[in-house]
Amino acid sequence: MAFVTLHNVTYQYPLTQSPALQEINLKINEGEFLAVVGPNGAGKSTLCYALAGFVPHFFKGELTGEITVDGKKSSEATLDEWVMNVGLAFQNPFNQISGAKFTVFEELAFGLENIGIPREEMKVRVEEAMALTGIRELADRSPYSLSGGQQQRVALTSILVMKPKLLVLDEPTSQMDPIGTREVFSVVRKMAEEGMTVVMVEHKVEWIANFADRVMALKDGRMVLEGKPNEVLTSDMLAENGFGISRYTSTAREAKKRGLWKKENLPVTLDEAVEGFAK
Amino acid sequence: MNLNRSFFVPVNSPLHNLNPLTKLALVFSMILPAFLSLPQLAPFLAIPILIAVFIGRVQKQYFNLLLKLVLPTILFMFVMQSLFLPGGETVILNLGIFDVTRESMQSAFYTVSRIFVMISSFAILLLTTHPSELMSDLTRRGLPGQFAYVIISTLQILPQMQAKAQTIIAAQRSRGLDTESSFRKRIGSLVPLVGPLVFGSLVEVEERAIAIEARGFTSKRVKTSLHEIPDPAFDKILRGILVILVIASFTLNLWLS
Repeated sequence: MAFVTLHNVTYQYPLTQSPALQEINLKINEGEFLAVVGPNGAGKSTLCYALAGFVPHFFKGELTGEITVDGKKSSEATLDEWVMNVGLAFQNPFNQISGAKFTVFEELAFGLENIGIPREEMKVRVEEAMALTGIRELADRSPYSLSGGQQQRVALTSILVMKPKLLVLDEPTSQMDPIGTREVFSVVRKMAEEGMTVVMVEHKVEWIANFADRVMALKDGRMVLEGKPNEVLTSDMLAENGFGISRYTSTAREAKKRGLWKKENLPVTLDEAVEGFAK
Repeated sequence: MNLNRSFFVPVNSPLHNLNPLTKLALVFSMILPAFLSLPQLAPFLAIPILIAVFIGRVQKQYFNLLLKLVLPTILFMFVMQSLFLPGGETVILNLGIFDVTRESMQSAFYTVSRIFVMISSFAILLLTTHPSELMSDLTRRGLPGQFAYVIISTLQILPQMQAKAQTIIAAQRSRGLDTESSFRKRIGSLVPLVGPLVFGSLVEVEERAIAIEARGFTSKRVKTSLHEIPDPAFDKILRGILVILVIASFTLNLWLS
């Protein structure tokens, strides 16, 4: 059985006219890395909140259908139980700093203190998580003195340290440079290989093509496409509907029209483009 | 931007090493007798306070606070009380309709002594105790986590809001907002500043609530704390002695009056 199941999920925020998510059906296996793409307002963040239990437990509103993670239904759980299994990190890193702690080390321990992890284990887990995301040298800094990219890494680490079974990331690299982005994708890939299930909203399609197992495309609250990264990200449908696509895909698509791209499939990454054009 | 958002002075001293609750007990063993016991007692409490300042090795910061914050406050209070407290007999100074009497000056002196004792004791507590240590110790002893969170996060988030206000002001000024001409115009200029600041902060509060909730803030499990805060027998005995001293001072007070 799939680790995460969304069955006919439709959700509408309170005081809005139309649903933010409509009839989403999705299965995610344990240890799978699913990327979510879509234009602004497609419902990507709402999907993240739904997986993490904040829809509907925090935002209220009406949710129909069923979300199941690890055999438990989100409608039957309370939020504080749900967050034990599902970790959420979102875009704005500044608002994810708890504000209750004076150093990065303490900030990372905040979640572990809340769920009652013993002190010695807490220290070990914080050290491990910092090593994983490469923020060891930030340990004694104030979380507020960091750059946006560094804060984003701290926010991601503060969730990883809690060892969720399902990791939900909403544009976790939006303020990062290419090196930071690469590190985040590598870490997430590694976590997936160790058995953590990952759902990540991201615009950087080349990175998705390199790292994700599967991609789902959302538009106007509906899932419009789903499948292997290269198939989804190079589909004509995405290009026609205002999705972000890789410059290599658009170049090759133009080239194909003029007979300069001989291969059947379009590329997403630079390597694929180089290989394709070399033929 | 000032990144040190607490009064805490990181040095090593016997006061720094006391358990936070013991220090809080010390604070109240100053304040309670100062306010509830004989008024004559309050000025003498300045002596233990000054000793504590030197034991805690926070003289520089303490006297700095004293000059900038405490002295202006108590001087103002002293003048006001001397002028306006009614019922004095011995007129020392006559200023038109106001009489400064010996009795009003004496009463003013006792009042400002009490205020001095209160502010100074809390100042020493804050100078020698890291806020997160104080709060985690109190949380461990049963203070609600939400209450501690509000106190600590205010220390951190207020400077952030100030910085944000500055950003908004700069952004609006670059679009031609008048912040330097007449008073009336500047009041008008407040409107486009307050809106983004207030609504922006409300959105932030929601996001922050989600972020800390995602990290188990309302978890019903028993919380643990990263830092071990020692509470040796010495501290417990000291707290016991302090309770006895406070009770003794009240008894003495009842007996004398």
